[in-house]
Amino acid sequence: MFVVLMCAVLTSEKPAVANIPTAEQIRFFEANIRPLLVVHCLKCHGEKKQWAGLRLDSREALLNGGDSGAAIVPGKPDKSLLIRAVRQVDDDLKMPPKDRLTKRQIAALVRWVKMGAQFPETTRAAGRMRDPNHWAFHPPAKPPVPAIKNPKWPQSALDHFILAKLEAAGLSPSTRADKRTLIRRVTFDLIGLPPTPDEINAFLADNSANAFVRIVDRLLASPQYGERWGRHWLDVARYADSNGLDENVAHGNAWRYRDYVVTAFNRDKPFDQFVIEQLAGDLLPFKSEAQQHEQLIATGFLSIGPKVLAETDEAKMRMDIIDEQLETTGRAFLGLTLGCARCHDHKFDPIATADYYALAGIFKSTLSMRKYIKVAEWHENLLPSAAATAKKADFDANVATKKAAIARFTAAADKLARQKLAAESDANHPQKLESLYPTATKAELKKLRDELAALEKAGPELPSAMGVTEDKVADIAIHVRGNPLKLGDIVPRRTPPVIRGPRVPHFTDKESGRRQLAEWLVDPQHPLTARVFVNRVWRWHFGRGLVRTTDNFGLLGEAPSHPKLLDWLAGRFIADGWSVKLLHRLIVMSSTYQQTSAAAPMTADQDPENRLFGRAEVRRLEAEAIRDALLAASGQLDSTMGGSLLKLKNRAYFFDHTSKDLTTYDSHRRSLYLPVVRNNVFDMLQLMDFPDPAVSNGNRATTVVASQALLMLNSDFVMQAAADFADRLIANSSDDDQRLSQLYTIAFGRAPTSDERLADHAFLAKVAQTQPTKTDADKRQRHAWATLCHVALAANEFLYVK
Amino acid sequence: MKLSPFEATGVEPNMNQNDIAPPISRRTLLQRSAVGFGSLALASMLAGKSPTHASMNNPLSARLPDFAASAKRIIFLLMSGGPSQVDTFDPKPLLTRDDGKPLPFAKPRVQFNTTSSLLKSPWKFRQYGESGLWASELFPRIAERVDDLCMIHSVYGTNPAHGGAMMKLHTGSDNFVRPSIGSWVSYGLGTENSNLPAFVTICPTLAFGGINNWSSSFLPAAHNGTALGNASVPSIQARVKFIQNSKLPRDIQRLQLDRLNAMNRKHLGQSGFDASLEARINSFELAFRMQSEVPKIEDLSGESATTQKLYGMDNPVTANFGRMCLLARRFAEEGVRFIQVTHNDDKVQWDQHSNLKLGHEKNAREVDLPIAGLLADLKQRGLLDDTLVWWGSEFGRTPTAEGTRNGRDHNPEGFTMWLAGGGVKGGFRYGSTDDYGYYAAENKVHIHDMHATLLHALGLKHERLTYRYAGRDFRLTDVEGNVVRELFV
Repeated sequence: MFVVLMCAVLTSEKPAVANIPTAEQIRFFEANIRPLLVVHCLKCHGEKKQWAGLRLDSREALLNGGDSGAAIVPGKPDKSLLIRAVRQVDDDLKMPPKDRLTKRQIAALVRWVKMGAQFPETTRAAGRMRDPNHWAFHPPAKPPVPAIKNPKWPQSALDHFILAKLEAAGLSPSTRADKRTLIRRVTFDLIGLPPTPDEINAFLADNSANAFVRIVDRLLASPQYGERWGRHWLDVARYADSNGLDENVAHGNAWRYRDYVVTAFNRDKPFDQFVIEQLAGDLLPFKSEAQQHEQLIATGFLSIGPKVLAETDEAKMRMDIIDEQLETTGRAFLGLTLGCARCHDHKFDPIATADYYALAGIFKSTLSMRKYIKVAEWHENLLPSAAATAKKADFDANVATKKAAIARFTAAADKLARQKLAAESDANHPQKLESLYPTATKAELKKLRDELAALEKAGPELPSAMGVTEDKVADIAIHVRGNPLKLGDIVPRRTPPVIRGPRVPHFTDKESGRRQLAEWLVDPQHPLTARVFVNRVWRWHFGRGLVRTTDNFGLLGEAPSHPKLLDWLAGRFIADGWSVKLLHRLIVMSSTYQQTSAAAPMTADQDPENRLFGRAEVRRLEAEAIRDALLAASGQLDSTMGGSLLKLKNRAYFFDHTSKDLTTYDSHRRSLYLPVVRNNVFDMLQLMDFPDPAVSNGNRATTVVASQALLMLNSDFVMQAAADFADRLIANSSDDDQRLSQLYTIAFGRAPTSDERLADHAFLAKVAQTQPTKTDADKRQRHAWATLCHVALAANEFLYVK
Repeated sequence: MKLSPFEATGVEPNMNQNDIAPPISRRTLLQRSAVGFGSLALASMLAGKSPTHASMNNPLSARLPDFAASAKRIIFLLMSGGPSQVDTFDPKPLLTRDDGKPLPFAKPRVQFNTTSSLLKSPWKFRQYGESGLWASELFPRIAERVDDLCMIHSVYGTNPAHGGAMMKLHTGSDNFVRPSIGSWVSYGLGTENSNLPAFVTICPTLAFGGINNWSSSFLPAAHNGTALGNASVPSIQARVKFIQNSKLPRDIQRLQLDRLNAMNRKHLGQSGFDASLEARINSFELAFRMQSEVPKIEDLSGESATTQKLYGMDNPVTANFGRMCLLARRFAEEGVRFIQVTHNDDKVQWDQHSNLKLGHEKNAREVDLPIAGLLADLKQRGLLDDTLVWWGSEFGRTPTAEGTRNGRDHNPEGFTMWLAGGGVKGGFRYGSTDDYGYYAAENKVHIHDMHATLLHALGLKHERLTYRYAGRDFRLTDVEGNVVRELFV
């Protein structure tokens, strides 16, 4: 079966503004109303016929009405003739004449009239599809910083863009959050861990003007920063330590790519360089072995996707893998769903099937797989180093020596055996002389062979990394409807012509063209790459992008809430040498970032979705941050960086036919380092909305479901963290009040109120009462405190950041 | 009481959540539920049994189908690995006659392994019941119930490898991660019991797609399948993860919840309104109720000896699968919408590339009596009327021989599934394979068609059950799927 993509219903990218239909309204109309009108009404009340002088094909026509007057009164379904007609309550006004709409259809019409009967124009709708003039295909403008009325609020130019919009809507931003809130927010945001009590106290005590910037710079310089922000990128790169899909085998070397990403963020590798290395690192010059390795590892980006490794149709497997690479590259860097154009021209974006195969040619000319025969194997690049090569040579020599020793031993033993045979003049030579060895000799031979086996088993493999290299360079033909058996015209490799701005690259028959593709992506004139990335960073800081559809900047994506700010940020990012750390600094040092989550009443009322960023939002921690924070609170966090926790050998199966889970997650390392097993993501992370690691995703969901509560209430991990947390409090102080202070500071970053103290003391006493009186006092105390710590770790205040 | 998000925005049943739908008051919803689905939920809400707020705030709230449904729920009996159609329910006299001869027509372009000539079935077939449907001696007990079965002999898929075929069977896609059919049903209909999830899977296999076969993928997480154990544990040990606390008794947990509630309420008051904070408070109460509800269902001690025997729980050969079937009935009674039971041992149960005779006989013995027992029990309790039982596998097997002529290879080109109850015709045959049982021939039913038909039984239009993700609307059936209306009474 070839990929056949489903067509979506049309929607708008217009932002919600009064009297202009919102995206949802248009969607509702296109999904529910227009089809109904076309099927049931327009034959008699449309372009060709106008029975009773009535047309129902535009809002104006409905308002003008026919012989009986206006067909609708927007907002008032009960006063609308159209609604009366379809309800068929009057004998002389029953529509459709020989039919009856379903209750559901009538309800939809009522709803539509009630909402104001928005009637998006067909022509406008049709014109929007595949629109080459869509905003995202034009290079960013260089917008001036807008004027504002309240000059006191902004701390940076960024704030001007936010404030101007708020002021235009007659709204005001929120006040600055208090210091405790700020340090907790920025620490979780930049390093994914809670601030320590010492850090909080130091910040509270520091009254200098640059107290906050010092915190920010400390956080950006800490190695935990790369662990936090590298993980964000790994969502986009659909990172996993296993293949998933049908043959769930270990990506034994994927961790090198993960560590590469962490290091890239920590060293503030310019983002343009980061893009080029991931797509074409193997083609770049290098000055050192380390640099060469790093660049080879970076191409893991193209290799770590899920593949149907037991696909029996090799031609299809090959195109499926290319498709996955193309789709991920498109989503990650361009915010475009290129995969849609595999079988037909993209339904919404101006990307033709020919554009798809022009890009696919680049990946077809790239070697990703060692073999395609099931079970197929991906390619890995060797990471040659003098040390590793020497080690391997050493090992090979040892094996050779051992083998030679065994050969000498058997030769000598064979000789003896033959002599014995000759002496017995037995004509029936057994095939294997070994069976004639004396018992002692056999034992000794077994020992030698066991030694050899052990030696070989422990042998060093030359280090290698998942990645790609060049293959035979070829342009490929359009696959009609995605079918590798139905080939159309050959399309030369090229970039999609609709994207204007960057210099059009020249593809040769000497190279796959990945390097040209990457350089085209990071051309400063490229309309998408910088915008898509700064929008991602904004999303990760604020929980929502300026373009809310972070992975789709196409026609079905949403328009930016602040287009000028988006362009300004993109321009600034490029001007700052694509420095991600400078971008963070710009954002977190803004008044916009530092607002409280309690909105000014008007702002909350007028902008309930916070599209204008007039307040901070209360956000739940991501899956990894929850686990890391639990470990931090319990004092058990192991801050070792890098390397692999995978126990399986490269390409070994996670689950064969048995369903035994041999992967363990009992490490106290940061969650980033736990194996990411597709088809069986670690339950604790999965329950907390860790994204499906088979698909690039820059916009994680945050759900609230009962199974998360069960995890917090009952899992051994949380229980253990609570017990360790309690032991930590007990060890630090013998005074219950001091313990409570510490509990609140560690868990919530603040001191307990007197009410809370009372409630907690009462709780501790009640829990202690449930224990048998003969339990010794120490045990009862530990139990009671662990029970209370458990509550604190499950509390919203622990898991949410204001 | 504060309005729940449902009341505030209005969510029309079975429509994409991103749609704007006519606002439905809680009362209207209850009234609608009263005439259609969700009467259990309604009853418990009216009786004040469940905190209505939590359930109304719940994406799993019972929802109306698109039209009158013939079934309220599905029990899917998955025979993992691929039972052979020509050895079970689809007899082929010409295959017996031409044993050892080459297949007289071309094999598929893409095959999993190479096979040689035709291999006759080692089992005898005969007709059963008033309907005269055929069954082989592998399934003597199920055979006695053929008058309840609706045989579909012409099912076909597209992927000849376990992994791809399993994903296709569960999600409609063999190369992308997509929501499972049970998740779609949960999304479309919600659960009838506000204390339980809508989709439960018992002892599923972690191989060949693993959790993706019961995951909600991009659908809201509440629609994830809830697994009881997995194929590596005997069903008697299969439990929902984290459903019980190994250390804290219920009274202490109650104290904890009360303290937690107080903390969370205070925090809510200080943080500015946030729906998820409120929802999370409710989720703990729901979890606490699930904690007592699920173990009650898992506890079979209240089942009579006669019932346990009916499912073969008195016999070590059938006890493991029998327990799964009995659990399935209990979840069905409690209002779970989609219950999957997987027959999968430490190999790929029905995957007889060799040892066909031994393997299929062992496998059939393990499931024949429990399945017949389940059908009988559902019927005697009146549950078969609105419960659709679906028996099948990711593919069938080739009529040609593999290896030393004692096995068969994977065959997605034509195989048999059957349905029972839930408004389908009993004692009915639909479609056929060719004379040798290799390819689906008449009235072909693709996996997509099967999905469309199953959703239809539940009153859901497969074209309308959509979810917007990454810029387009997705369906279980992609752009395919035809409802096989002939199967319904």
